[in-house]
Amino acid sequence: MITVHFFDVPHEIYWGLLIALYFYYTGMSAGSFILTSLGTVFGIEKYKKVSKVGVIMAIVLLLFAPLHLLFDLSQPGRFINLFTHVNLTSAMSWGVYLLILYPACLMIYAWFLFRQDFVKGLNQGGFKASLYRFLLFGKTDMSEASKENDKKQAKFFGTLGVPLALAVHGYTGFILGNVQARAIWHTPLMPIIFLMSAMVSGTGLFIIVLMLVEKFKFGRLNEDIKALIADIANLMKWFIVVDGALMIIYFIVLWYSSESGYAAGYFLLHNEGWSFLGLENILGMLVPLLILLSKKARQSLPAVVIASVLTIIGVLAMRINLVIGGQKLPLTGSKIVEYVTSGQDIAIVLGIALAVIVVLSFLYSVLPMNRPGAQERAEIQGNKTIPTTKGVAQ
Amino acid sequence: MGKRYAMVIDLRKCVGCHACEVACKSENNVPLGVNRSWVEELETGKFPNVSRHRLPRLCNHCENPSCLNVCPVKATYQLEDGTVLVDYERCIGCKYCIAACPYDARFINRERKTAEKCTYCHDRVAAGLLPACVNTCIGGARYFGDLNDPQSEVAKLLATEAVTVSKPETNNRPQTYYIRADEKALRPNLLNIVGGGK
Repeated sequence: MITVHFFDVPHEIYWGLLIALYFYYTGMSAGSFILTSLGTVFGIEKYKKVSKVGVIMAIVLLLFAPLHLLFDLSQPGRFINLFTHVNLTSAMSWGVYLLILYPACLMIYAWFLFRQDFVKGLNQGGFKASLYRFLLFGKTDMSEASKENDKKQAKFFGTLGVPLALAVHGYTGFILGNVQARAIWHTPLMPIIFLMSAMVSGTGLFIIVLMLVEKFKFGRLNEDIKALIADIANLMKWFIVVDGALMIIYFIVLWYSSESGYAAGYFLLHNEGWSFLGLENILGMLVPLLILLSKKARQSLPAVVIASVLTIIGVLAMRINLVIGGQKLPLTGSKIVEYVTSGQDIAIVLGIALAVIVVLSFLYSVLPMNRPGAQERAEIQGNKTIPTTKGVAQ
Repeated sequence: MGKRYAMVIDLRKCVGCHACEVACKSENNVPLGVNRSWVEELETGKFPNVSRHRLPRLCNHCENPSCLNVCPVKATYQLEDGTVLVDYERCIGCKYCIAACPYDARFINRERKTAEKCTYCHDRVAAGLLPACVNTCIGGARYFGDLNDPQSEVAKLLATEAVTVSKPETNNRPQTYYIRADEKALRPNLLNIVGGGK
């Protein structure tokens, strides 16, 4: 039947780039934390080397993520209302508390991971020593009992961090999944898809950050780190497999759901094909998967870097396709709702990204990033030759 | 029993003059580019078998409003009489309600910087007047009143006419009813818009 609308009012897409980026950042925070908790929490020894790199990255990403939301508010000064008025039926209201609990838990966890290194770094003098002294809050005890306590507490807060990480990103899936008005969002798979793609992008970014930290802190990538990166790349391969499987399941059920679900699926394939198929699923998932299938590629740093960068781009495209694409489908009227990114939004996104890079670089350069293995070797050497050595493999 | 306000729009009487839209803008000082109340018009078929349909839209003041459920600060609230309102002093402008409303009823008022929508002209109703759109409707197509009062016009129409609401499947339980609304106007024809239809 031919239908012609000749009067309709325009509508606007209100959740744009900033919201997509917020989901993206919390995802990478949760993903990188869960990955690096494999050492401290799940006791997989080789991952202990990188828990410190991972937790700093997770904390910084998570602290900057909500800035996107703050800038997106029409009344940013009223954000305090989020704390004073709780609505238990709103997923956004759940998030307010998770966004405080999760980084708080991670900071306590990180403190126990770093404490002994802070104490060891006290005698080097200068800015770092003053910083460490401040961060230690007077807890300089280096007895065996206190070292054991550090280990115990790190495990406790790390273990608490895992469900919090799942929740802090899972809840963002509920933000979209609970909206029954939009078939493209309204699926119980949404929190799981968000979590899985977060594992993929979190791992991808973590690999790159780890390489940079190792390179700048220790001058080169040691063999054990190279082996670990190959290992993480193997994990990333499986994350992509699960994420891809979820995407396929999501899409098939969307296709066979309601008329608006089918239209949403058709929209993703055709109207958004370039971004949905091309960027998100082929370039962002299939290509890295194909690269990582080969053991040789997993052991080659350039190949792993390419795969990581592709997943990071792919998951960003996925967040944008879901958040913004989901609102392009009209709820009333007769037209696709157009989205135009404002220059202000792009400036905010770039500004926050730059701030994250600056803060991460600063933290990685001032914090003692020495790790089990490298650190112990240096200590033994140091004790034999110069007793007053800094004892840090830098 | 308390009051339960509802609106019935009889499309047999709607002439498509958009006076409701204009009255609403003027009564509620709605900024340019956004609408609390508007009329969609469409034509279907091929000459000589054609028909023309109109659908005045406004907030449905749902019994189970999505917008209220998702608001993180409880700025959207529902009165005893069913009217769904926004506390403009509390709203933080997160726009979740706008994303969640199945009816595009909400928008950001760029001057007030909060979410906004039709209030069933709450202030007028409290003063014993009819909502501006009902008051101005030249065809007399709009009825407003208390569903819990069996003698009210809306209660009588609901009892005697075949009525429909927009998107009942969403469990919002909208309380703006239509008589003789065309299905093609009640929801967007997505297969036409996006493609994928035969």
